[in-house]
Amino acid sequence: ASMSTNGSLTFISFFSFALQSFRRFGNTLSEYFHLLWFWHRALKIIGANFGTSVLSYFIFLKWLLTFNIFSFLINFSFIIIPQFVAAEPNNLSFTGLELLTGAGYFQQTVLYYGFYTNATIHKIENGPSYNMQLAYIFTVGLYFVICFFTLLFSMAKSFCKNFMDLQTYSGNASKILCTWDFNISNEKAVKLKQKNLSTQIKVQNAGEVRNFSVKERAVHVVIHLVSWIASLGTAVAACAGVYFLSINNLKVRTDFGESQAAMLVLPIVASLLNAFIPFFYSWLGCLERYQTPGYHVYVTIIRNIILKISIVGILCYYWVNVVAESESQCWETLVGQDIYRLVLVDFIFCLLGSFFGEFLRRIIGTTFCVSLGLPEFDIGRNVLDLIYAQTLTWIGILFSPLLPGIQFISFSIVFYVKKVSLMMNCQPPRKVWKTAQMTTSFMFLLFFPSFVGVLSVIGVTVWRLKPSEECGPFRGLSSMYAAVSEWIKTLENHTASKWVVWIYHNLITSVLFFFILSMGKPSPTCAKRTRRAGQLESPDTALSITCLV
Amino acid sequence: MGGSASLLPREALGEYQELTFLTKQEILLAYKRFSELLPKEERENACSARVPKSQILTLPELRANPFQHRICRVFSTSGNGDDSMSFEDFLDMLSVFSDSATLDIKSHYAFRIFDFDEDGTLDRSDLEKLVDCLTGQGEESRLSNAEMEQLIQNILEESDIDKDGTINLSEFQHVISRSPDFVSSFKIVL
Repeated sequence: ASMSTNGSLTFISFFSFALQSFRRFGNTLSEYFHLLWFWHRALKIIGANFGTSVLSYFIFLKWLLTFNIFSFLINFSFIIIPQFVAAEPNNLSFTGLELLTGAGYFQQTVLYYGFYTNATIHKIENGPSYNMQLAYIFTVGLYFVICFFTLLFSMAKSFCKNFMDLQTYSGNASKILCTWDFNISNEKAVKLKQKNLSTQIKVQNAGEVRNFSVKERAVHVVIHLVSWIASLGTAVAACAGVYFLSINNLKVRTDFGESQAAMLVLPIVASLLNAFIPFFYSWLGCLERYQTPGYHVYVTIIRNIILKISIVGILCYYWVNVVAESESQCWETLVGQDIYRLVLVDFIFCLLGSFFGEFLRRIIGTTFCVSLGLPEFDIGRNVLDLIYAQTLTWIGILFSPLLPGIQFISFSIVFYVKKVSLMMNCQPPRKVWKTAQMTTSFMFLLFFPSFVGVLSVIGVTVWRLKPSEECGPFRGLSSMYAAVSEWIKTLENHTASKWVVWIYHNLITSVLFFFILSMGKPSPTCAKRTRRAGQLESPDTALSITCLV
Repeated sequence: MGGSASLLPREALGEYQELTFLTKQEILLAYKRFSELLPKEERENACSARVPKSQILTLPELRANPFQHRICRVFSTSGNGDDSMSFEDFLDMLSVFSDSATLDIKSHYAFRIFDFDEDGTLDRSDLEKLVDCLTGQGEESRLSNAEMEQLIQNILEESDIDKDGTINLSEFQHVISRSPDFVSSFKIVL
């Protein structure tokens, strides 16, 4: 017992030391701007040719990259390296297909949760030990806490700065005084912007607000209603399709084993739905003919986010309720593999989308159908794709600690490919895009449905689901969180660590109590657990009370 | 980049960091780009040399900017009206157009740039010239007289609070404060 306490204290001091030196390292690194030179140069070229609106997409992408690299670095330092030290040999064979399916050889590597040991790692006799269970849960937990506060802080800062736009929409004409984008330095782009401004002014001057007759207004309302029903209906149909496909997936997996190309059907279908349904929504938006173009953009974005979040939501429901309850040996690795495949196929579709959406569209627009012209870069759709990919990555961190590193590489490639495609194929945006307002909205979308949803899923997994018996760092425990509560119990016997126990009982458990309260309906698994929880001690009684509520 | 760091004296670098919104790297980059505008013989004394306006306008960031002449006029401290810029004028300009400059500073200088006749207010002729810069001189994009009249009428109706027929600095800043995109678009980065 004393060994594990020693190990935990060493872990904490090691962690704080590492965090401090990491921060110092980061500061010195940012002074050597040679390393950041590539980003600076690329962003400047994009801004100079396309203006601040398109630039905001690339800045958002760069911001997401920092989340991923941070996660990868702390996972690598605190979970993966110790696991390498205590690794068992991998005697599975490797075929090329596994890079796509993530199964087979990769199952016994640090890529997935199942490979991690639940032991306390000793390398030196009577030396410091390393408790893998605590390391795993604390690293993942700390990352999410830091992300939460970073997102909250960025969102609040952005919202405060851009609060002005929420005031009553007063006067378009005087906005002309502050619309010129000084970033643009490409001559052709400048001329294009001047032409667009001129058109905008002429339209503004000419267009008076028409008073619609009652009949016309009724027709408009009916069209809006029908469009909303159509879009929500498509989203529901997409979710149903994904759900049935995933149930089928499970059957294929149990019948035919893992390393099949058939496992790729679910991710491909999910990505196809994500790629093509937004075009349907844009078409609906064109049919509806909104009075203010800004409103049209918002409605399309809301419909797309509903679609994407529902697809992620149905997948999470499937993972938590079906895969976790299945009889498989190591359900966390199965979930990790599903997420790996989804992320990889989404990345491939993103590249394909650039190719077909922009390159071929340009060829068509310049040779066959000249009236179409060059394509414009669709900022909203691309940012929502990024939010979707980041949501998947965040969910996958618990099940596949290497995933943020993979996503970092994929986002970097996407940055480069999108930039090249933009420069080669696209023209600067013609319509007005309220950059500040949209950036704040995207940050909000990243926080509210995306990150908060991820926290709920991770919360349910850590507190309510039973880890697999035979694999992973939490094998044999009643829940992943039990590792922490057991550690607190061992700490209670040491007077030196009474403060940790005090913080735990008075701050963290009460916060957890409210968090679990807010998570909503008790599930059937929860009812099972309340019967078991009656025998355990105080923190779990709190759990059982909320479950009965 | 390492070479130019040795040419700009350390105390001057520190001073510039204090007086402007620019970071150390941005000042060094500005120094490098400024010296490239000078002929080879004058590069040693880049800090005290003046670059003629024609050279400044060859910078890619300013070359296509419709407000290039006004920018040079506003930031130049040259006494004889030739709009040449010294290194400190150049830094001044980059500081106002940098990421970290405040909304107040930017709106103040935007007002000065748009004030073509430099009388301290934006009257009808200033606004006409401003709109001409924004829409360009091309045949298609140029506004007709009637359209220009209507636009300026609308602008004055919306922003001229004291109804004196001109827009002064505080009215201008009031308009700017309603547009959150202004800060990110009023930016020039080397």
